[in-house]
Amino acid sequence: MADQLVPGEVIVAPTSAADDVLRVEHIAKSFGPVTALRDVSLHLKQGEVLGLLGDNGAGKSTLIKIICGFQKQDAGNMWLKGKPYQPKSVDNARSLGVDVVYQDLALIDELTVYQNMFLCREARHLPLPFLDSRKMKREARKALNDIGINLPRLDVPVTRLSGGQRQSIAVARGVYSDADILLLDEPLAAMGAKEGAQILELIARLKQEGELSMIMILHNYVHVLESCDRVNMIVDGVIALDKPTADTSVDELTEIVVDEYRRARLAAQADEAARAVAAPSVGD
Amino acid sequence: MSSTIGSGTPAAAPAGGPAQERETPRSAAPWSLIKRFLIAREGSIIVVTVLLTLYFALTLPAFVSTSNLHALLPYFAPFAILATGEVLLMINGEIDLSVGGVYLFAPYLYYELATAHIALLPAVLISFAACALIGLVNGFFTMVVGINSFITTLGTLFTLEGLTLIISHALQVTAPGSQLSGAASGTQVSTFASVFGAGTYSELIWALVIVAIMQIVLTRTRWGLHTIAVGSNRLGAAEAGVRVRLVVIRNFMVCSTLAGIVGILESVRTSSITPDPSGANLILLDAIAAAVIGGTLLAGGSGTVIGALVGALFLGVLQDGLAIKGVNANYLYFYLGAAILLAMVINVYVGRVRRGSGVG
Repeated sequence: MADQLVPGEVIVAPTSAADDVLRVEHIAKSFGPVTALRDVSLHLKQGEVLGLLGDNGAGKSTLIKIICGFQKQDAGNMWLKGKPYQPKSVDNARSLGVDVVYQDLALIDELTVYQNMFLCREARHLPLPFLDSRKMKREARKALNDIGINLPRLDVPVTRLSGGQRQSIAVARGVYSDADILLLDEPLAAMGAKEGAQILELIARLKQEGELSMIMILHNYVHVLESCDRVNMIVDGVIALDKPTADTSVDELTEIVVDEYRRARLAAQADEAARAVAAPSVGD
Repeated sequence: MSSTIGSGTPAAAPAGGPAQERETPRSAAPWSLIKRFLIAREGSIIVVTVLLTLYFALTLPAFVSTSNLHALLPYFAPFAILATGEVLLMINGEIDLSVGGVYLFAPYLYYELATAHIALLPAVLISFAACALIGLVNGFFTMVVGINSFITTLGTLFTLEGLTLIISHALQVTAPGSQLSGAASGTQVSTFASVFGAGTYSELIWALVIVAIMQIVLTRTRWGLHTIAVGSNRLGAAEAGVRVRLVVIRNFMVCSTLAGIVGILESVRTSSITPDPSGANLILLDAIAAAVIGGTLLAGGSGTVIGALVGALFLGVLQDGLAIKGVNANYLYFYLGAAILLAMVINVYVGRVRRGSGVG
């Protein structure tokens, strides 16, 4: 991979430790001609909240989707609690203790609140195949109460709910899934300041309990410094920064992004210049 | 975490505690029950069907006779079964045009097997399995190769109709085992025939049982939940872990199998197998019409099997009533088309009301 490196670029090697619950090494993923991830390595400690940053299109969501089993990487390996980890599906990852809250929420408009919360984890009257709606409703209510979300009814389609309510259901679904590792892709995206604060509060509480380890994509650096133990930043498909939040600042994080922007502009200008040189011969 | 998120009624949970579902006040019950019924997906078509039946019953004495009830059944039961399969796929956001082809092909396969000295029941079961396989092919082209289901099944529709004409040499044959009181055949044959279509209520029973089973599947099982999920938000369903391909392919298989069942029931009922693709195409369109009139949208995400049953009943009553009334047969499709448009207008309007109300 070294030959693909742009001069001046930093790749941070993972400093792995014995208490890593998740380790990701040299992950690469392309979609046709578009390279989303070139060589990403990161690790997550037990009980840690890792903030994942990066420009739009940097490949953050792709990395999350690989870890949660929705997509498969082209190259690279993953380890879960020291064991090789290659989820075959989202369901498979979930059964291994890795769950996810997607950026697009993955809610089904036509299904009710509780059906959405239990989608693919439905309670059934086994050995009969029939759904145990009462149990799902009861547990959904308990889960939502637990995290302070009060919806008057759980048997209405989620299409009737506000953006913030939908977001909180998606978060509740992830949090309440018995997962050891929770991946959150912009959990505050559709929320107002007040609702967002409640989700951050929930995350802080989960962190305090220490059972759940989380990787969280956030755009707001203030939120990152407030809720995360450590930050990783993806630039051009590699991890360009890995620091405890205590050792970094909004300024430093902004500087990396601005620097990336500068380099992108320089590259674009060079491109243009090259085209300008080539153009006359075409014109004649 | 003391306050609430977005519910509009901050922290003040009802006295029963937040764990209680809020009940509708009792005093409003009768009206809300009527409202609930009218805006249920099936509600409007049930009302329209009852009104149509009442109209024919009051204006045509012959309409309410037992013999007419018997005459009505074939106009209704086969379409109810076909529409049930179509509903499953339409909820998925797909469509199956090949049911016309399967409907035509299955009886000939059954005929070929039976004339090859395979016992009647195994011949029927093998034919059903072959139909399921056709569904698997439809599902494969749609979900794995990625061809739009309209195109895939248009292809299999013509392929199967052509195949049927080839193997039948375009000749009508007698359905094996369809003689109710044939001298040469024993009681077993007639039992077989009366179960598989020739009995007066055979098709009706098949239709009711199939609709009941599919209604339970759709509303009470994981299969149904995932079917709705795939049709409503395919990417979201996949992200949540729903096995989208499996769900859609399985529904294609059910839809094809149901078409095969109808094909064989109809051939045993009429005791003849006719290689008539144009008739099969009309049956296909009637089945889709029944599903649509019953309140299932082509867009996916929602639909109702009970509605399909009532939609088929509506079509049957309309055809039968108009026939008894002596209306020129030419008018039939005019009325049918108008009924589909009217049903869609009602569906769209009722859908809007439903989204605005508290009824799920």
